[in-house]
Amino acid sequence: MKNQFYWTVVFLMISSISGAQDINLDSILARHYHAIGIGNLLQVNTIIMTGTIIQQDVMPAKITRMRPDKYLMEFDVQDIPGLQGYDGQTAWFTAPWSGNPKPQVMPDDRAKDLRCRADFDGVLYNWKGKGHNVELVGRDSVEKAPAYKLKIIKKDGGVEFYYLDAARFTILKRVFYRMVRGQEVMVENYYRDYQMVQGALFAFSLETHFGGQPYNTLQFDTIQLNQPADASSFRMPVK
Amino acid sequence: MLKTWPSAGPELLWEFDGLGNGYGSPVITKTNIYINGEIDTVSYLFALDHTGKYLWKAKIGREWILNYPGSRSTPTVVDDLVYVTAGWGQVTCIETLSGKERWTVNMMTDFHGTAPRFGFSESVLVSGNTLYCSPGSPDTNVVALDRFTGKINWISKGAGEMTSYCSPMLISLPQRNILVTFSKTTMLGIDTRDGTMLWSYQQEGEGIDCQVNTPVYENGTIYSVAGNGNGAFRLQLSDDGTRINEIWRNGRCDNLMGGFIKVNDYIYTSGYEIRQYYTLETAGGKIVDSVKFDRGTINYADSMLYLYNEKGQVGLFKPNGPKMEQISSFKVTRGTKAHFSHPVICNGIMYLRHGKSLLAYKIK
Repeated sequence: MKNQFYWTVVFLMISSISGAQDINLDSILARHYHAIGIGNLLQVNTIIMTGTIIQQDVMPAKITRMRPDKYLMEFDVQDIPGLQGYDGQTAWFTAPWSGNPKPQVMPDDRAKDLRCRADFDGVLYNWKGKGHNVELVGRDSVEKAPAYKLKIIKKDGGVEFYYLDAARFTILKRVFYRMVRGQEVMVENYYRDYQMVQGALFAFSLETHFGGQPYNTLQFDTIQLNQPADASSFRMPVK
Repeated sequence: MLKTWPSAGPELLWEFDGLGNGYGSPVITKTNIYINGEIDTVSYLFALDHTGKYLWKAKIGREWILNYPGSRSTPTVVDDLVYVTAGWGQVTCIETLSGKERWTVNMMTDFHGTAPRFGFSESVLVSGNTLYCSPGSPDTNVVALDRFTGKINWISKGAGEMTSYCSPMLISLPQRNILVTFSKTTMLGIDTRDGTMLWSYQQEGEGIDCQVNTPVYENGTIYSVAGNGNGAFRLQLSDDGTRINEIWRNGRCDNLMGGFIKVNDYIYTSGYEIRQYYTLETAGGKIVDSVKFDRGTINYADSMLYLYNEKGQVGLFKPNGPKMEQISSFKVTRGTKAHFSHPVICNGIMYLRHGKSLLAYKIK
């Protein structure tokens, strides 16, 4: 009986050590890069994602990304086309349904979010080289799934939290804060429906919550890699 | 009609993709198809033949582009004349063969109407020699026009409210005919002889202005599933049509513009906030079943339900008492913008309007 107890304790100690090794930032990120197929993603120069945005209505949406950090989202609100773009320097948007048809420079906190989305390989990849700081906060869970919680302080000062699936090492959730009418509001992105596209892993569904309430869902029907894209389309239009 | 569809959907017979923007459905006559569309802010009436061949288009007026840009209404055809409404309130009578304009009035400039926040969307009602439409001003809630000349027959103050997107229906009783429609917050029962408002039924709630679906009348009973306000409700109409009595209401029902179908003892419709279709029993108005198929429009033909949701999926469902049993479905991949139109079924063909495209599917 004593012998059995001894071996149980040893087993638990080994398990504990193994768990401690899990909670190592470099190890987590290495598995994350492997999970998303970073080797294949690094060979990709453009990503074109088409689908719908569900935000009260169901409207068409298209995202075009170009290495290293160009981003253009075309989407409809009330069936009127709008744009969000980043050309590597300027984040901009149009919102003609608001009565102003002209392109506008994006406010700083929204620009931080867009720059993050424009990072072709994701902000976690080569974070040191990009001037960010990443730390492992600890274990957490997302919708009952065990997760590792990472905190990133970006070069631009923006702070975000990433929750990585403890089993698959994919991103389950991203959390950041945005100022809305003088109030700090929590924004949560939930990444779902991961599928491989030519050896790289993409979430085909992105659900966003604002202040804890569902806000919209981007649902992609197709994700195409290395298709031609016009670099000038990412620039803010003159009028 | 087909009781099941191939996995890719029924055969697409033809597509006409030059309609411009719009959400209104087509009307099918013995010889032609008529449908509205918006191109460069102008509203047009299109005439096609039954093979989808373009015949002509006629300019109607300014179309609504402030939100959901595009035409809204469905034309009304009587004999050799077609009547159409544009988003800024132009009501026009056009000859079906030539596309030539007979007369036109503007509900804003001629009748002091106010455009509702999504534009004029009413498909006008014609009965006998009279056309009914809803300018929606304090003094001209509903007007009746001579359908051959556009001259005023009568003006009804009604509830003195803004119009609310609803296309009216007519109840024929031995004593009188009653026009039933909605203004902003009120269902109206109007005597078609002189515009007298016989009764009204108030929608309760804050900020309500979307009473889009046309009510249904059957055997002394009016059914409605309105966008907001009282939700779904059932009214008993007196024998002479001068009084109503509420039998039930169900505020949980919030179908905005997808319409509803009554078959025997059940009403089939779609939710709005909760994106699913559901079934109401007509005796007490309770929701008795639901099915996940997003939200959208609905039609019924040959014992089958045809659902067209906002994600572009078309579903063939069999109503089985409270149950809606899904038989087949496919996704509309052609056309543009939002999937808001109502499916139209005629002579074994299902017509779907998706933005600039009119699609004709063989379902027989």
